Amino acid sequence: MNRRTSKLSPELILKAFGTAFFVYLFFGFMLLPCLHTLTQVFTAKNAAGETDPLAVIRFFFAGNMPHFVLNSLKLAVCLVVTVNLVGISIVLLTEYFDIKGAKVLRLGYMTTLIYSGVALVTGYLFLYDSDGILTTWLAQMFPNMDKSWFSGFSAVLFTMTFACTSNHMLFLRNAIRGIDYNTVEAARNLGAKPFKVLLKVVFPTLLPTLFSLTVMTFITGLCAMSAPTLLGYDSINPEIVRLAGSSTADEAFPQARAALMSIILAFFTILLLTVLSSYERKGHYLSVSKTKAKLVKQKITNPVANVLAHIYAYVLFIIYMIPVVMIVLFAFQNYPAIRSKTLDLGQWTLVNFFGTRDYEYMTSRGKLRVRQGSISGLFANTDTVGGIRLSFVLSAIAAALACVIVVVAVNYIFRNRKKIRSTVLEYSLLFPWLLPTILICYSYRTYFNSENVWYVMNHNLYMRENVRFLIIMAYTVTKLPFALRMIKAAFYAIDEELEDAARNLGAGGLRTFLRVKLPIVLPSVLAVFALNFNALFTEYDMSATFHSSYGKTYAMVIQSMTAEEGRDGYNVNASGRRCASTVFIMIISGIILYLVYGVGARDLGERLEIREKRRKRLARLRSRFGRGPESESPPPAASA
Amino acid sequence: MIELKDIVVRFGDFEALHNINVSVGEGEFFTFLGPSGCGKTTTLRTITGFIDPVQGTVSVDGRDITHVPIEKRNIGIVFQSYALFPTMTVRDNIAFGLKVMHLKRDEVERRVREIARKVDLSDEQLKKAVSQLSGGQQQRVAIARALVTGPSIICMDEPLSNLDAKLRVQLRNELKRMQQEFGITTIYVTHDQEEALTLSDRIAVFNKGFIEQIGTPNEVYNHSATEFVCNFVGDIDRLEGAIVDGLKLDSGRHHFIRLERVRIGEGGAGMLTLPGVVKSREYYGLYIKYSIRAGGQIVKAVEKNDGVHLYRPGEEVVVGIHPQDVMSYDA
Repeated sequence: MNRRTSKLSPELILKAFGTAFFVYLFFGFMLLPCLHTLTQVFTAKNAAGETDPLAVIRFFFAGNMPHFVLNSLKLAVCLVVTVNLVGISIVLLTEYFDIKGAKVLRLGYMTTLIYSGVALVTGYLFLYDSDGILTTWLAQMFPNMDKSWFSGFSAVLFTMTFACTSNHMLFLRNAIRGIDYNTVEAARNLGAKPFKVLLKVVFPTLLPTLFSLTVMTFITGLCAMSAPTLLGYDSINPEIVRLAGSSTADEAFPQARAALMSIILAFFTILLLTVLSSYERKGHYLSVSKTKAKLVKQKITNPVANVLAHIYAYVLFIIYMIPVVMIVLFAFQNYPAIRSKTLDLGQWTLVNFFGTRDYEYMTSRGKLRVRQGSISGLFANTDTVGGIRLSFVLSAIAAALACVIVVVAVNYIFRNRKKIRSTVLEYSLLFPWLLPTILICYSYRTYFNSENVWYVMNHNLYMRENVRFLIIMAYTVTKLPFALRMIKAAFYAIDEELEDAARNLGAGGLRTFLRVKLPIVLPSVLAVFALNFNALFTEYDMSATFHSSYGKTYAMVIQSMTAEEGRDGYNVNASGRRCASTVFIMIISGIILYLVYGVGARDLGERLEIREKRRKRLARLRSRFGRGPESESPPPAASA
Repeated sequence: MIELKDIVVRFGDFEALHNINVSVGEGEFFTFLGPSGCGKTTTLRTITGFIDPVQGTVSVDGRDITHVPIEKRNIGIVFQSYALFPTMTVRDNIAFGLKVMHLKRDEVERRVREIARKVDLSDEQLKKAVSQLSGGQQQRVAIARALVTGPSIICMDEPLSNLDAKLRVQLRNELKRMQQEFGITTIYVTHDQEEALTLSDRIAVFNKGFIEQIGTPNEVYNHSATEFVCNFVGDIDRLEGAIVDGLKLDSGRHHFIRLERVRIGEGGAGMLTLPGVVKSREYYGLYIKYSIRAGGQIVKAVEKNDGVHLYRPGEEVVVGIHPQDVMSYDA
């Protein structure tokens, strides 16, 4: 029963504070900066110094800007085809068809979950660029080959194809596992051949998931940043970052053009998300089965097709695994081995992780020289450690902030369902989903690069250390929609009677939230925190936009290692450190995924069972090593 | 003990409860029975304070509690899903209400142990997570949690509905035993007539937001006040045409008879006997249900399964109906 009180209660004060905070967040860090970007396009001044609303648009069509847009569109369209081809086939090969060694194959295909973004791109470079392992081997066999073959559109497409199948492995795999095997059996019983069953029975049930994945892949292609930057391909995002850092002395309307490009990206994103949501509204395939049977893997009866499927599966496995394996192996190799790209199985070292010697480089005469002041080990190099520390702190703060904001908001939304204010709150938190990350970052960079924004106390947030606050805000805001979708789902899964029960037992709103609801959603909240942290820790797009000496995040450090490698001949030190970096990222991501999906997914019952098993194991060990059970103190229940 | 007076509940334009008047005595096991959407849970939630009536009063021991907050009503609830907190152990679930009351740790522990003993929960079970318990054990935890704070009334909202048939019967008996042991006033919501008849001291039969009848199980079953109650509680035959005429009943009214009151193969003084043919039979183990064409209609009847007398479809039988077993209602 709701009791309204006119008194200035703590709950009322909290509500007022919460409302003010969300209004501040939405207007101050979502709407106003983006509106500012929009106005930039139409308030550009022409050569005569007059405001010309169409100047930038005219320039857009007159110059080479459509080239960037078309390139991005080309990449997005091609990615949709290649990612779906590879994504669908790896899921079918591991989940639907009976392929020997499917468990191992699945592990290989899933490596992109712990190895993505800038780390993955640099990993591919380690293998394929002009000094890469594969290129070196190929050059030995074909001395006339172009050693810079791995660059441009095809390199970006290749890298991103394998980088973007993580969603297929997560969501399409779940969709296939959700198929009722009885439907497959029914189709077979009615005379359908295996391929027809796949096409007519299995595939239609996967279409909604595939459609969502296609849209998300298209947006990823359109907004690609790290791969085009590192592999050299003219697309929208890298150009926006370049223009944002340019000045009017160098070229015409750089900021306004960057703004226009951001808006073009936003237009495509909104269009695609609208298509997606209208498709989702049409409804999904729902299994009507009351007793769903688990999918049984299908044998490929045609021996030739079976052999071809196995070959295809293992070729893909090799493509996925080779960069990972090579990077891990070379991370523990010494400089000569890295330099010659030849594994020296007798020379394992931790120098790339903990080496404290100065940077050594190889001269054109093949001699190793030392450069003073450049430390070789990942954890001994101040630049690298600084980047790791900064990324760690910024990512942790932003991931935590996004979770806290969303948990508070969702609790409010949950308690005020069907009320207009909760709908407004929900949509305002979803707002960043409509905008490409680059638009938000670019908007922040230009809007807060001034001392005229009153609601941040007229501080220039792009200057000096302030940029770190700006990075935190950008990280937080861009992660709000994901956090909202996940945490809201967790809240809605709570049995409403639990809240009623707590209230009936005398608990107030705060106690019910802290003692009953929060512990239930905590695994989901921690999972969101961990996944967001994981994504932000090596995040590249935003880091590149805010890059400065005060905002040099881990991703930028990795990028600088790549640049460093080519300086003064081939920098084996930077190369080794980059391998160690990737291994470090994989370990961090692996631990996080284990904590989220392994430990975090256990309920209280499972945790108590594990504790009990551990206790028994310990007791067995004690008795084996001389301390019998009689020497143990009696359990508390017995003593009571 | 509990009195609901002229209770009206509205959800927007929809009136869910119309002038509900109920009086429940101390220590009574009182059941709200009715089909889905009839208002029985709404009435329960009005008593517990989750719903505000737009009119009427709820009083306990003469004290008006209509506007008393939920937590101050001193009413325990056992929810349909049990609503056990999944992140807490059994002990913490039971102790939750006591901790909210800020009792000392020793007192909390004492009370938890005491109530656990009464509902047959062992020390070992207290340490477990609720997900590690069986359905029956979970029900005992829910009851213990509802009773541990010492409420004067306990409300149960279909606590057996999620269980399988066998366990439901087993727990029904246990529920009755515990209620008698604690002697606590109990309000029980169910749509299961058998559950209501076996457990209750009195039953209120709900229909479309009204109470159709309040009475003991015997009154509700054998002397149903309305056609709806007669129809809802137990299986019936509607008598028509020749049978109504043969029994000299008012043809302007509706007449019903319970299946077990239709006698097969026997007649007697004052009974209407009709020749009939068995059309089909359903075997239930404990009894057998027959469909017999007699008096120009299909009459259903049940007979105890003694393992000897089994009528086959097509067999000719005699059907006997006593006028005093007929329940008649205005059309």
